[in-house]
Amino acid sequence: MANNRPEWGGLSDQEVVLLARAGKEAAYRELIRRYERPIFALLFRMVRDRELSEDLAQETFVKALNAIDSYRPEFKFSSWIFKIANNTAIDHLRRRELDTLSLDGSPHAETPEAMQATALQIGARQESPLDTVEAKELGGAIEAAIGSLRPEYRSCILLRHVEGRPYEEIAEILNLPLGTVKTYIHRARNELRLSLAHLKE
Amino acid sequence: MTRPSGAHLSPDEIDSWLAGTLALEWQQHLDHCQACLERAEAEREIVEQIGMLPLMSPAPDFAERVMASVVVPDPFAIRSLQATQRSLFATRKSVAVAASLALLLLGSMAGSIAWSVTHQETLASIGTWLLAQGGQVAWLGLRGLASNLIEQPWYSGVRSVIDNPARLALGSALVSLAYLVGVFALRRLLALPTQQVAHAGI
Repeated sequence: MANNRPEWGGLSDQEVVLLARAGKEAAYRELIRRYERPIFALLFRMVRDRELSEDLAQETFVKALNAIDSYRPEFKFSSWIFKIANNTAIDHLRRRELDTLSLDGSPHAETPEAMQATALQIGARQESPLDTVEAKELGGAIEAAIGSLRPEYRSCILLRHVEGRPYEEIAEILNLPLGTVKTYIHRARNELRLSLAHLKE
Repeated sequence: MTRPSGAHLSPDEIDSWLAGTLALEWQQHLDHCQACLERAEAEREIVEQIGMLPLMSPAPDFAERVMASVVVPDPFAIRSLQATQRSLFATRKSVAVAASLALLLLGSMAGSIAWSVTHQETLASIGTWLLAQGGQVAWLGLRGLASNLIEQPWYSGVRSVIDNPARLALGSALVSLAYLVGVFALRRLLALPTQQVAHAGI
C-alpha cells in the first residue's frame, strides 16, 4: 500500500473517487488518509470527546465510502464529506447535551486510564515545556470558548478558521445562505473575543 | 467600494483586512480610527489563536476500522458491466440493435398484458380445457399402471395372501417384526460410547 503513495499524490480527489468506484481498495484508503485528520479534528471540537469523535469520524467515513456512487463529481469531495461529518455531529448533539470541556479527558471517563485515553493530545508542534503549558492554558481556553458556542456557530468558525474553507464552501457544507454564514462567523468571533477577554487582562 | 462619509469598518471589511485585501480608502480610515483598529486587531488575535489550535489525529488503526465496515465493489463485476455498456454503446448500429431488442421485449410484454385483459373469457376457456385434458391423462395413466400390475407373474401370489385373512395377518406380523428388529439394530449402532474417549476432555 505504502509503495503506491507517490502515484496518489498527483491525483485530485475526484480522480481518486473514480478509482474507488472502479473497485480499487487502495483508493478508499487514500481518501481516508487525506481526510481522517481534518474530519476527526472538526468532530472532536464539535463534541469534545476523543473516543466519541473517533466513533463519529468512523461513522462519517463508513457512510461516505459506502455511498461513494452517490457523490457528484461536479462538487468538491471535501464539501461532501465535511457535510456528512457536520450532519453526523449535529445529529449527535441534538440527541445529547454535552458537558463542559476538560483538556484532561472526557467528562464521561470514569478511570484515570480512560481520562488519559480520551485526553486532548497536544504536541504536534515543537515547543518547550513552558510553551506547552502556556499553549495548553491558552488552547484550553479557546477550546472551551469554542465549545460554549452554539453548534451552528461552532461549525462555521471551525470550518473557516481551522480548516480554512472559503465562505462559499461553508455555505454549501452547512446548507446555509452565504450571508448567514458570514453573520454566524462574525457573531462567533465576537463571542469568542468576549469569552477570552479575561485572559488578556 | 467607496466609503460613505463617517462610516466604520463592517464585518466584511474586517474580513478583507484579515485577508490583506482591504481597499485603500478603508485602510486610510483604519490608520486614523482608533476604535476600528482596536476591533480589527482583536478579531485578528482571535483568528490567530484559533489557527494555533493543536493538530489532531485519530488512533493509528482508524483506517483499518473504517475499511472493516466498507463494502468495496468487485472490480471484475464492474469491469464486466462497463464492458457490456461499452459494447452496447460502441457504434450507432449496436445502439440501434439494443434499442430495438428493448423495444421488442417491452412491446411484447405490453401486448401480452393488453391481450390478456381484453380476452379474459378465452383465457378462462383455455384454462378449463387444459384442466379437463390433464384429468383425462391422469386417469388413463392410472388405468395403465393398474392393468400392468395385474399382468405381473407375482400378482396372483400377492392376491391370494390379501384374499386369505389368516395369511394376511401372518404376513403383516412378519413385516412388523422385521421392522422392529431393524430399528433396534440401528439404535445399537448409533448409540454414543459410554466410556470417555482419551484426549477428548479439553
